[in-house]
Amino acid sequence: MASKYYDIDDILTEEEFAPVLFHKPANRVTIDPSAETNYVEQGAKVELPFWLAHELHLRQAVSINLPACFDQKTRLEIQADAACVDLRSRCPYFYEFGCKLQPLVTDRTLGILLSTAFKIRYKERLTKVFTATHLTASKFLPFLTIEETSLYEAAHLSMTAFKKWRTGGPRFQRASILGRKRKES
Amino acid sequence: MYGRKGYQLVKDFASGEKGQLKPFNSKLFDETIEECRQNQRLIQSLMRKMEQEGLDVQNNRNADYYGALVHHLSLIRNKRCLMAYVHNRADIVRDLGWRVGLELLELPPEIQEKLTTLEKEYFKNHSAAIKSYMGKAGIDLNVDMVPPKDPYIKVRVVGDIDEGIVMSDKTTNFARHSMHFLKRTDAEPYIARGQMEELTG
Repeated sequence: MASKYYDIDDILTEEEFAPVLFHKPANRVTIDPSAETNYVEQGAKVELPFWLAHELHLRQAVSINLPACFDQKTRLEIQADAACVDLRSRCPYFYEFGCKLQPLVTDRTLGILLSTAFKIRYKERLTKVFTATHLTASKFLPFLTIEETSLYEAAHLSMTAFKKWRTGGPRFQRASILGRKRKES
Repeated sequence: MYGRKGYQLVKDFASGEKGQLKPFNSKLFDETIEECRQNQRLIQSLMRKMEQEGLDVQNNRNADYYGALVHHLSLIRNKRCLMAYVHNRADIVRDLGWRVGLELLELPPEIQEKLTTLEKEYFKNHSAAIKSYMGKAGIDLNVDMVPPKDPYIKVRVVGDIDEGIVMSDKTTNFARHSMHFLKRTDAEPYIARGQMEELTG
């Protein structure tokens, strides 16, 4: 945990929302958009970002339910053809978020769901990297989660590096940190 | 919802290209700190309320306690976002020193604009530390980032380089599009800054 304190992706993952059930009331808190007062009742059902839900869960103030991105419909789609499901629009950090939720929810099938989805999709991406050109890849890139995109990019980079090594060419490059070069007028 | 501004700040950092700087977002940064202050004010007012009711703040678990807890957690969350923002920018600032050049004025002006005064200060201090270390170790650590094949390489000038730069032993006129045969270690910083490109053939 401590090593991920500064991790941008980890912070963004924990911003994903999960539905929770309040076991304790909380005063002067404006969480529940439907409530007219700034008081959260015991038994209120609201959506909280994971970082808040998790800490409140540790103190037995709430219980966490599965968010919509892991619902029955998504599961059925993954069972049908995992490779074609648009996971990005459901949850950009599908796997990381799932892993964080897994110990906190009562559903015991979440882990299996994640690993089967990942295995099938990973295999599919890997073959695509080797066969498809970068242009046709743009068709399925928007479906990938952030984790899958970085894997795909890593594979793509190593393929380009390999091709470059075979053909030869300049080995020095402008530092990528400066960003892409602007066209000179 | 709480911790909103911190999230937007981190999101702003993440929306840039990986490993590249965006201008320091001082507006969001200040708004995040302001959100922290609001959280803190609410925690204090809830604590005071519990004290006035004669309750033990440490052990009581009433609605006020959980209210204060939510604000406390939000404050901690915003702090994490602020820290991560500064930390990840500092990573890039150090990287600039290693990959582009240890002098602040050698950095392209569009990069310099993106740094805050404090980050420039940090860059200078970090460069000074590297330079003093390299001086003691007696070796240039920021050259030969690509394993050398030949001590000399052929380059073409693509950017504007000030005249009268002395390289190793001779003064050369680096007009744009002119080609030169240079010592690798001399050419390397210019290539990194995009002012020369390596020719192969």
